[in-house]
Amino acid sequence: MPPQRKIEVLGPGCTRCKETFRVVQHVVEQEGLDVELVKDESIERMMALGLLATPGVVIDGKVVVSGRIPKAEEVRRLLGIA
Amino acid sequence: MTTLASTATIALRPTRRRGWALTAVAFGTAVLFYTQLQRLAAFLTYDLAGLARGSRLSSAVEFFVFEVPKVLLLLTAVVFAVGVLRSFFTPERARQLLAGRREASGNVLAAIFGIATPFCSCSAVPLFIGFVTAGIPLGVTFSFLISAPMVNEVALVLLFGLFGWRVAALYLGTGLAIAIVAGWVIGRLKLERHVEPWVWQVQSGSGTTAAQKTWTDRLTDGRAAIREIVGKVWLYVVIGIAVGAGIHGYVPTNFMASFMGRDAWWAVPLAVLLGVPMYSNAAGIIPVVQALLGKGAALGTVLAFMMSVIALSLPEMIILRKVLRPALIATFVAVVAAGILAVGYLFNAVM
Repeated sequence: MPPQRKIEVLGPGCTRCKETFRVVQHVVEQEGLDVELVKDESIERMMALGLLATPGVVIDGKVVVSGRIPKAEEVRRLLGIA
Repeated sequence: MTTLASTATIALRPTRRRGWALTAVAFGTAVLFYTQLQRLAAFLTYDLAGLARGSRLSSAVEFFVFEVPKVLLLLTAVVFAVGVLRSFFTPERARQLLAGRREASGNVLAAIFGIATPFCSCSAVPLFIGFVTAGIPLGVTFSFLISAPMVNEVALVLLFGLFGWRVAALYLGTGLAIAIVAGWVIGRLKLERHVEPWVWQVQSGSGTTAAQKTWTDRLTDGRAAIREIVGKVWLYVVIGIAVGAGIHGYVPTNFMASFMGRDAWWAVPLAVLLGVPMYSNAAGIIPVVQALLGKGAALGTVLAFMMSVIALSLPEMIILRKVLRPALIATFVAVVAAGILAVGYLFNAVM
């Protein structure tokens, strides 16, 4: 079985970050994906990845969205389900 | 106009040609509508509603009916254009380009990037840390942090739409000047020890480069920007214009001149002081600013007030407290306030 994928939503807790998390969570639930979905508000994680503009979406340690709220179809595309 | 375009794009698959065609149609319709606005406003106020010419009510109503669609149209067009432009810039890119730059040239570049880069107050902290840990001088980082929120396309559009290109250009120029000089001054003051110590310990990655975007992506970014910015701001614009319309129709001309006129030397500092605890987006403030100006308030005083409201934002100061010690925050506020004061006096003297 392939290792479980990990999706992180990074942001210091402002409304845009919460909205991003909702969008990702919605897609994960709707598609019934087996992923680990985490919301991380720590500066350390953001800096470790070099993310400067929040909100950010990280899949398996790679920043795929930064500085804006992604649309559901974009999240699907990034997860390879479009 | 925007809803029509959005509904259409949901129904159709976003092929490249359709994207361009829709944009062109929307643009053409907007231009046509824009040129007929004055006539339409007059028609609606005097012919349709039957209001008497020259009365206060009709004056206010015509102002409102004319300005609301005009400003919203302009705003939509520019937000779209800037949204597309910004798809070329990210803070990560700005950071790469600024790393290792010296002062002076770094200050200028940082201020310019600040305009082009999208900025949200919540990004202030990670942005600050990312910049200083990449070796970007403190002063240069501040130039970026000052220009990013202050010189934004919403403010520029509204200024252009309501006062003409000269005022908009002056705001852009002086905003940049303040960002560059204030950042440079803060750099000279060598305040590095007032940054919270833990910031220097942070290990930061270099950041990934974004995947290559196609033009269809960029147009989508533009449309997303419209939904996000105009969608958030339009009500403030309408309310602001309504207040402006009320002032336009009902406050006697030159009422403001007595205490906001250029002869009252204390007007500029007062305006700056008033602006510090207030925080508003540009959209809400500018229509009010217009009415104040129309009633005799001096341009410098009013612009100083506007800059102070936008640039010296209390929420952002609170957020930055995480990474900056109070002494540095105080210095930052003082230097920027001084710059705004200077601009206010300059405008009053020159205009």
